[in-house]
Amino acid sequence: MEELKEKLKRILIDEIKIQGMTPADLKDDMPLFGDDGLGLDSLDAVELVVLVQKHFDVQIADMEEGKEAFASIASLANYIHQKKS
Amino acid sequence: MTPASRPLGGRLKIRLEALGHGIFYLTLRLFGQLGAYLLLLPVIAAYAATSRKIGRKTAPYLSRRFPSAGRPGRWLAMIRNLTSFGQVLVDRAWLGIKDGDLRGEFIGYQQLEELVNRGRGVVLLTAHVGNWQTALARLDSLPTRVHALMRYDQEAAAKHYFDLRDGRRPFEIIDSEGPWGGMIEATAALQRGEVVTIMGDRLVKGSAVTVDLLGDPARIPEAAYFLAGSVGAPVVVMFAAKTGRKSYQLRVWDSWYPRWENREQRAEACRNSGARFAKNLQEYLDEYPHQWYNFYDFWQQ
Repeated sequence: MEELKEKLKRILIDEIKIQGMTPADLKDDMPLFGDDGLGLDSLDAVELVVLVQKHFDVQIADMEEGKEAFASIASLANYIHQKKS
Repeated sequence: MTPASRPLGGRLKIRLEALGHGIFYLTLRLFGQLGAYLLLLPVIAAYAATSRKIGRKTAPYLSRRFPSAGRPGRWLAMIRNLTSFGQVLVDRAWLGIKDGDLRGEFIGYQQLEELVNRGRGVVLLTAHVGNWQTALARLDSLPTRVHALMRYDQEAAAKHYFDLRDGRRPFEIIDSEGPWGGMIEATAALQRGEVVTIMGDRLVKGSAVTVDLLGDPARIPEAAYFLAGSVGAPVVVMFAAKTGRKSYQLRVWDSWYPRWENREQRAEACRNSGARFAKNLQEYLDEYPHQWYNFYDFWQQ
């Protein structure tokens, strides 16, 4: 699971291009969306859905799944882990 | 606000509108489409003569589309614009109530079907021009599921039309007011190879690209191009036009794949796509100048 979280952090930094942060700055429980977290927006959500599919072959099909998966890095890792197992 | 708590003027307006709709429906049932078209004439004439508001709402478009027209020419263009809009509303009610026979041709259907069959999904971009609800109704013949990314409750005209058809909609709604603006559902639908229709003209919220339309800059939504480019789907521009009393045309005007290698290229790719859509829209308006139904200052959105 730790490896999965690290991979997600690397994807967020390298591919979503979160400005001014390194993977080490990202905390597992940090919200991905909203001003009190990483501040991603709906266009970033599109990218994230595509990247999760591309890197993990897991589809996030609707906002209910999105709410569960996109709460934080830890919840996204959990979601992917559950879908893969 | 509950109906009882509305001010008297507001309640009266709602009742008068309901009465107006009732009269039109009765005319449609008794005298058919032509009867309702005839009823439109005095209503529009009275409206145009007494309402300054409608002049203000149509002026931003008409002054750009007919820049050299004098006051009488502009007034005539407004009447034609309103008549055209009124006829589309009548047709919609007529189709809903009486299953009226409108003959439609669909230019480019095969091209659209071929793109759908590639399995990469299709972002079908349209606009508030012509009888666009009819266009949406025709999509049930495509060999995949169709979704419409929209604020359905806010699209009163579409809602009215499809609700009249006993709720039989040829597409599934993705609510753009939901979390992430419906983009997760739209992305997933495209990943499954399905079609997502988006109105490419009105900017309600979210990011925008600035394009030139009829000689002035206007902001239009960026989401469609972003969505298509992110999942590798094509953008297909399709507009509907009313071509006669009982005929209409759907036409695929253009299609392309928005592409970018990195985030730096992405903004430019979306801008170029927006410009291409605006060019298509302008070509449409050259051909059908009275079928523009954005009755507000589009260039200030």
